[in-house]
Amino acid sequence: MDLATLLPFLVNVIVGGLVLGFVYAIIALGYTMVYGVLQLINFAHSEVFVTGAVVGFEVFRILAPNPMNGYLKLLIALVSAMLISGGLNVLIERLAYRPLRNAPKLVPLITAIGVSLILQDVLRVIEGFQGRFDLTYTLPDAFGVKFCAAESSCVGVGNFLRTIGVDLQVKDVILIVVALLSLTVLNYVVNRTRLGKAIRAVAQDRVTAGLMGIDSNLMISATFLIGGALGGISGVLYGMKVGTLNAYSGFEPGLVAFTAAVLGGIGSIPGAVLGGLLIGVIQKLVSVMSVLGDLVGSKNLATIDDSYSKMGAFVVLVLILIFKPTGLLGKSNTEKV
Amino acid sequence: MTAINPTQPNRAKPAPDRTILLILFFVVTSALLLSSHNQAVLNGSLGGLLRNPIFEALVVSLFLANVLFAYLWRAAPWARALVGIGSLLLVLPMAGREDTSLLDLSIQIMIFSALALGLNIVVGLAGLLDLGYVAFFAVGAYTWGIFASPRLSSILKYYGENPGATNAATLAIGLFLLVVTAASMIYMRRMSDKTAPTRLSSWAFGLASFGLLAGIILTVRAIAVLGASNAAGLATGIDSNFFWLFLALSIMAAAIVGVLIGLPVLKLKGDYLAIITLGLGEVIRVLANNLDLYTAGSQGITPIKSAAVPWFNSLAGFLGFSEDQYYLLFLYVLVLVVVGVILLVNVRLDRSRIGRAWIAIRDDEVAAQAMGVPLVQTKLIAFATGASFAGVMGMIFAAKQTFISPESFNLFQSIGVLSMVILGGMGSFPGVILGATVVTLLNLRILPGLGEATANIPWIPQQVNPGQLQRLVFGVILVTIMLLRPEGLLPNKRRVLELHHDENQEDDSAEGNAGALGTGTGDVYSPGKAPTKENDRSGGAK
Amino acid sequence: MTASLSKRNPASSSNILEVENVTKIFGGLTAVNDVTMNIPDRSIISVIGPNGAGKTTFFNMITGIYTPTKGTIRLAGREMVGLRPDQVVEAGIARTFQNIRLFSTMSSEENIMVGRHVRLKSSFLDAVLHTKKFHESESEAREAARVMLDFVGLSKWRNELATNLPYGDQRKLEIARALATTPKLVLLDEPAAGMNPRETEDLKALIRRIRDDLGVTVCLIEHDMRLVMTLSEYITVLDYGSKISEGLPHQVRNDPRVMEAYLGRGAAAGEYGKEATPNA
Repeated sequence: MDLATLLPFLVNVIVGGLVLGFVYAIIALGYTMVYGVLQLINFAHSEVFVTGAVVGFEVFRILAPNPMNGYLKLLIALVSAMLISGGLNVLIERLAYRPLRNAPKLVPLITAIGVSLILQDVLRVIEGFQGRFDLTYTLPDAFGVKFCAAESSCVGVGNFLRTIGVDLQVKDVILIVVALLSLTVLNYVVNRTRLGKAIRAVAQDRVTAGLMGIDSNLMISATFLIGGALGGISGVLYGMKVGTLNAYSGFEPGLVAFTAAVLGGIGSIPGAVLGGLLIGVIQKLVSVMSVLGDLVGSKNLATIDDSYSKMGAFVVLVLILIFKPTGLLGKSNTEKV
Repeated sequence: MTAINPTQPNRAKPAPDRTILLILFFVVTSALLLSSHNQAVLNGSLGGLLRNPIFEALVVSLFLANVLFAYLWRAAPWARALVGIGSLLLVLPMAGREDTSLLDLSIQIMIFSALALGLNIVVGLAGLLDLGYVAFFAVGAYTWGIFASPRLSSILKYYGENPGATNAATLAIGLFLLVVTAASMIYMRRMSDKTAPTRLSSWAFGLASFGLLAGIILTVRAIAVLGASNAAGLATGIDSNFFWLFLALSIMAAAIVGVLIGLPVLKLKGDYLAIITLGLGEVIRVLANNLDLYTAGSQGITPIKSAAVPWFNSLAGFLGFSEDQYYLLFLYVLVLVVVGVILLVNVRLDRSRIGRAWIAIRDDEVAAQAMGVPLVQTKLIAFATGASFAGVMGMIFAAKQTFISPESFNLFQSIGVLSMVILGGMGSFPGVILGATVVTLLNLRILPGLGEATANIPWIPQQVNPGQLQRLVFGVILVTIMLLRPEGLLPNKRRVLELHHDENQEDDSAEGNAGALGTGTGDVYSPGKAPTKENDRSGGAK
Repeated sequence: MTASLSKRNPASSSNILEVENVTKIFGGLTAVNDVTMNIPDRSIISVIGPNGAGKTTFFNMITGIYTPTKGTIRLAGREMVGLRPDQVVEAGIARTFQNIRLFSTMSSEENIMVGRHVRLKSSFLDAVLHTKKFHESESEAREAARVMLDFVGLSKWRNELATNLPYGDQRKLEIARALATTPKLVLLDEPAAGMNPRETEDLKALIRRIRDDLGVTVCLIEHDMRLVMTLSEYITVLDYGSKISEGLPHQVRNDPRVMEAYLGRGAAAGEYGKEATPNA
């Protein structure tokens, strides 16, 4: 066991986990916000997020021959994904959930599962008519290069990361920056604006908020819009990160992100972020367990392969729900949303 | 009980007697089924149409409507019995003799009916949404699959070559641990019914469960190592006469897994339970995929034996079945009997102390517990009962397919079974059987038929093949039923009341639905053992 | 009954329920603070107090829905703290709810049969195999339901869905369901809420019969002061989670602290009305 090789390896694992974790965090926000206002696990959120990824794929594909700046393309991809995913989410709420607002709790939950399945096949058919199933992102070349490849091009944080041996691509850095920006904006909207205040009021008590003159249906729609837009952003980021996906790809990251939301404390925004980052790191750790096993010379660790990294998230979910169902930052009477 | 007896929908206003219509319908549809599956006709000029899976699905569903009508319509008892029994025991096997795929289809329908009946106990009666139900099906399938296939000798061979430090003493230690820990756990459970559990006793119970696990592992390992010398003799698995023993074992194995999964998770509230069962179902599938030694991983296990029943074979031969149809016919009869038993068990449980407790929990969890219904225990019984039905069907499924792999048990299958229950009507036994029939026909005949029909249309690329639109079908079933007719096609009367409760009663409070499925919006926030929020201001969460 | 009332010694063995120094803290909020209370066997006592005084929390602790932060609760000498609600029922405490919680998809009879659950002994296998035990236990449950429906005067509603009953009858059905568990002590949470004066009179008679005919001790939370004062043999007053007064009805009525708790905050007038929302 050589500390000099182990340490950079672990640092990279953690950084890689955080990058993944930021994607999970943004997806988790979509779950947590909807749960905050409706106490509904929006199973369809994973497809809302895949819709974002598909939109991102299409934008990059269509703009691929265009010589414009890569960052402009990214901006277009993000904005169109936000609009389409956000709109889709609002539509889902309006058509499938709102009629069931007062039904027993299982009813909207089952509906959400159904909506999720329908969207999977609709997305598949839409792409399928163009003869595609697996969608591979065509990113601008500049995104794929190593971040801070040469010492001369680096300053400050980048240089520091380079010296401690962190291996990042430009797209990873973009991902973190976009994620942090979205979180900042979301934080501003929820905590500093009238809209945010109204959403929080509806989340705490729909009936009372209604008595105070807040249009709770409008606020619920707004929540779905924001959650969907976040889903769109996370879809593009996820697509950039994994490179290839298809219409059915949403289930797994969706479940992982839901786990993140529960881990952080469902209904809590900082909780979703914390949970996302933690889960990202945990999952990365499990997935490199076999490499780590080789590094430290443990035969048992070496047999844990990547397929267990899915299971890692489920096991975390089970453990949290059993031992600390309120999550890390959630309280039973905490401020929701 | 008598007032809202769900099995007598016509009680309120007697419907006209339809004996003649029923018999007529039976005769016509039987003739249709028999002729459309007759080899001579199939080879004739109409063969193309008759072989079309969509047409076949139509004929089969028309024929199966016999059974439904025999159940629903008011007719002379003899006619209802004749049509019901005649359809399933006479006409269908006769048609199956000509066309083996029909037998196969019928077995599939009944396997899914049994699964739907099992899930119906969990979801429909006890109100617990289980999205990992197919895991129990997998447990049953693997219980038989591992032992009745060449896997067994591979496992024994492996242990023979890697005995470790295992010997006869290990077996003794393992058995000792097993007995002692099991006995002390049972004792502790008994005690905790009498006195309040303390932190210490909970820890002791947890520790004992680890001891139990260790005991099981040691015992199994020791048996495998000690039995390794028999590997050669078991090259194709154990003797097929063990089938009957394993029928019981697969029920037990699935029920035990149901309890093990249920114990930690059943304290959770509705939606969390759904997602956690979904996760655990996937865990079981991932395990099946990774425990290569036992399950052969993604390659799957094959060939799996079926039961050897000489007397049945000679009977089948006497009735004119060909030799390659014997085991399917046997499985058909077996599945029919098992579904019958499961249905009977369902009906009896529904009208018993336990069934009442399930419905009470579904209606209002807090009130049920405050009336003395032990929540976790009662839910566990629902979970284990549902699981055991899936377990026995899993085993039969393994024997029928002769091949199982983890992909047969993915989340998607669980959702398929759920959509059967939803389509037919949660809590309604005839409903879920109807749902299982419709969904299975859609899945196995209509969608592939559409796929075939569109295969050569140029503007429909392979990626859009309607033969693979199961997700869309399940999704549409779930959404439309929930939105338009949440009580399902053949509703249980109780369910109708529950689901339309809000419409009859102006209910504007956020907690107004608390009674419906046990969770009001007020107390879902902490999914643990959340206490109810009464209107007591200082007691509430605010 | 006056005999048992005269014994107000906390350690008296004739107390059916002994609550000692019970405290419940939610987060930072003390909902019930160090309450000690004894309920003599075969008595009718009341717990009163303004809204938010912690009465229902107090009931929830006795019935095992909440675990007290501190303190002990003993039923006939047996410790109740730590038992699950269903175990508490089995031990002999039954309750009704402030906001009616009947099983909405069941008939009146079935509701009561669920109440009988703990006293029935037939098992899973009995039900599957339809053993003699199963039939016996089913007929016992049915008989219990018949007796209880008769007792509260709801026989005509036997096969009617619980939610179709008139409001006052739903309250009575809840009481019948609680009594079907054969309790030693029954806790009634605002049984008269939303009832008209005639129904309240009926209820008063019913509560007396529960004690006199069935020998079951009754403890009720109630805001209807006329009912409380005429029915109760002993009254405990809670305010802000603490016991501020206890004694015989006339003592409590004239206790300045009680007057202050109710009237000092100007809340007395608002006490009614709130729960008076008949589910018509």
